Amino acid sequence: MLTVHKAIDQKLLGAQTLGDFLQYVDLNTYLHRLDPRTKFLFFIIMSILTSFVKSGVALLFLFLVFLAIWLVGRIGQYMLVLLDKIKVLLLFIFLLWLVLGIFTINEGPVLFRTAFSIFGHPFVVSLEAFDFYKGAVYALRIFLMISAFYTVILTTNFSQIILGLRSWKVPYAIAFGVGLVFQIIPMIVQEFATIMEAQKSRGLEVDKCSTFAKLKNYVIVSLPLLFRVLSKGHAISLAMHYYKLNFKVQRTAYKMIKATSSDLFFSAVTVLATVVTIVLQVHYYIPI
Amino acid sequence: MSFQLKKVSYKYSPEAPQVLKNINIDIQEKKVTAIVGPSGCGKSTLVSILSGVIPTLLTKGELSGHFHAGEDVVISVVSQTPENQLFGYGVEDAIAFGVENMGLNSQEIHSRVESVLDLLHIQHLRKRAVSTLSGGQRQAVCIASVLAMRPDLVIMDEPVSSLDPRGKQMIQSVLNDLKGSGQTTVIVDNNLDWSADIVDHVVGMDHGEVVFDGSKEEFFAQFAVQKRLGVIVPQEVEIFGELSKIIPGLKPFSTLEGAVEHIQEHLTHKQSTTSTQERGNEHSDSILSVHDLSKSFQDGFQALKQINTGFEKGKVISILGQNGSGKTTLVKHLNGLYRPTEGTITYKGAETTNRSVAEISRDIILVFQHPEHMLFEENVYKELTFCARAQGIPFSEKEAREVLEKYDLLKDQDELPVNLSMGKKHLLTILSVLFSSAEVIILDEPTLGMDLHLRNYLEEIIRDLKSKGKTVIVISHEIPLVFKISDQLLILDHAEKLDEGSKQELAGEETLFNKITIDLPPVVKLSRKLGLNRLACTVDELKDMILPLVDSAQSNRSEAIGGTDIG
Repeated sequence: MLTVHKAIDQKLLGAQTLGDFLQYVDLNTYLHRLDPRTKFLFFIIMSILTSFVKSGVALLFLFLVFLAIWLVGRIGQYMLVLLDKIKVLLLFIFLLWLVLGIFTINEGPVLFRTAFSIFGHPFVVSLEAFDFYKGAVYALRIFLMISAFYTVILTTNFSQIILGLRSWKVPYAIAFGVGLVFQIIPMIVQEFATIMEAQKSRGLEVDKCSTFAKLKNYVIVSLPLLFRVLSKGHAISLAMHYYKLNFKVQRTAYKMIKATSSDLFFSAVTVLATVVTIVLQVHYYIPI
Repeated sequence: MSFQLKKVSYKYSPEAPQVLKNINIDIQEKKVTAIVGPSGCGKSTLVSILSGVIPTLLTKGELSGHFHAGEDVVISVVSQTPENQLFGYGVEDAIAFGVENMGLNSQEIHSRVESVLDLLHIQHLRKRAVSTLSGGQRQAVCIASVLAMRPDLVIMDEPVSSLDPRGKQMIQSVLNDLKGSGQTTVIVDNNLDWSADIVDHVVGMDHGEVVFDGSKEEFFAQFAVQKRLGVIVPQEVEIFGELSKIIPGLKPFSTLEGAVEHIQEHLTHKQSTTSTQERGNEHSDSILSVHDLSKSFQDGFQALKQINTGFEKGKVISILGQNGSGKTTLVKHLNGLYRPTEGTITYKGAETTNRSVAEISRDIILVFQHPEHMLFEENVYKELTFCARAQGIPFSEKEAREVLEKYDLLKDQDELPVNLSMGKKHLLTILSVLFSSAEVIILDEPTLGMDLHLRNYLEEIIRDLKSKGKTVIVISHEIPLVFKISDQLLILDHAEKLDEGSKQELAGEETLFNKITIDLPPVVKLSRKLGLNRLACTVDELKDMILPLVDSAQSNRSEAIGGTDIG
């Protein structure tokens, strides 16, 4: 009997594959054990830092810090999944800044330069190594911004998120709503995959057809998804009633969160990394 | 504490029809009451009134009569889909959710969580994440979360409808413990097969009115009421209903032991040995074959190991096994949704590997377990003909309307499909494959949400498909139904094929069913216990086999009288 249960459990645990996106990874690492508030603080500091740091060296240092954190949290493979999902976005950002850079003349090695005029207006197209640097810096900034958020999501389950927000005096209605979003997203992703399978099974062609037909068929699938989401929303609101959830009434908590020396150490590392990044930004910043 | 509804009537808006009409029900303290009735009879509305959803959340309806539980009374509901009801990542978080809402102190919350974990014997689950639990475990946690609130009344809305046999057994055990603890409970389910040992009191509803109110024993003796309400009763009760037509004076029974005792009293010609059927040759005429099929997922989980099997033309084949045994993975390979890690699938001798799922659906079609994943047309008529239109198969409007009429859906033809009852939605998705060109039809848990009336339709559809030479593959946890409709069985366990053969052959393999912890149908067990010369797989077969063994004068007399309700 136990063996059978183990097999089923394995199957269910197997449901959490690398392909799953934007959901908590159930591990017991140093990073997972941290107080959610420590991780929120990390996210806030890194979001601010990456939004003003534009030095390639500073960003590269920050990337190494992130890499160390991912290794400690054993979530490196999930970050690769993230990279795979956002690679088109990153490429777009890189190319956008590359193309914009072509129309400005910068210092440094020139790879290609030409001048021409359109209706009497002179234009210079100049591709320098610096344009590649600029594209890479902006792509890396965006990647670090997203990964700071993703690092927290992968290592903090939605119950901990709610507890953390509550301890920061965020109203329960908002904290519960945020937690619910992270509970529901994997459900909706799963529902969409099942609906696609169900529709393909009854003859809807989405594999061997033109891009337009594929797009049209994906739109068709959105209708049952909408019904399923509405139906889930209805069931959840009924369940909230059954559990007597009333946002006007003071709730108590089964679990308490408490910062430990690990949190102090992680916070110190975050602050140190921030200071070093700022120093590197000041010393190695090239205006872009 | 007992709960009384007196002259309760309700309609969802002043213009809407009356959904409940003058309902009088007494829910007895420390008893388990079952509320049964066909889809649309008003069961769900009654649950909404008992739980306070009406009038707290649904305020626009007209409610009259008397039901007032009081401010301090806690009434809570366990729904059929626990994943929509559990708030919290871990089991402990989910169990504590309701108690936290009550504003109890931390010590009291801990004490209540411990107490329900002990009561339901689920201490071993406490550190698990809810998402990693099996269906039965999830439902048990859901029940625990409700019980932690110390409810005066617990209402369970079809709590086992989506569970496998092991999950059902777990919930049966949980409910037995609950009954022992004196918890007042209401089970809303049209299937009394799984809850027969637990239920004390039955309330039958039809068209918004109470048409039966009595003990379980009284209900089991009222065959006409069971039939009218479309209630699925234990097969032992069905056996009694049929045998009482040919054996006058047969005492009522609802358990296997009772059946053996009372039937044996009337057998005048005893048989001593039950012979099991010889195993025949396998797959003489397979339309669809599986060769050395193995499947490993990205995370390394091996879902299928070296499966070799075949599905014969014009046969009904059921795949049995617990959740996680590989049933769904296997059928998703048959229709191309999954690609094998090793091995091949051949349809009429040709490999299906390079065809898209939509292309394969012209030959092999899979109907999913949850109809809401499939329905998206704007009305029932369009939904019925979806497969035909998607596959470019010609059909006539007359033909489509005839199908709707035959299966009692014509009056709903312009209705939005998602507005139908769960059972009707499921029936509609199954009916839509009648208009497809597929020669192989796969039905995954086709009975979900169906009452007895709809199940009878389902049986008719399967018989019809078979008579047209189509192959029907069924995944179902409803074992008596499986033995009734199937020709052959394929048994999977831990990703491997354990056995396959005709249902008569496998009915004799008791150890095989013990191994997969699935109970053989009562009719099979009974024919073995009675020492009949072969094993019956359906109630009709049993009746035919017993008829020659009873005193012919008695049976003639009883046939002349006809089976009548007892009591």
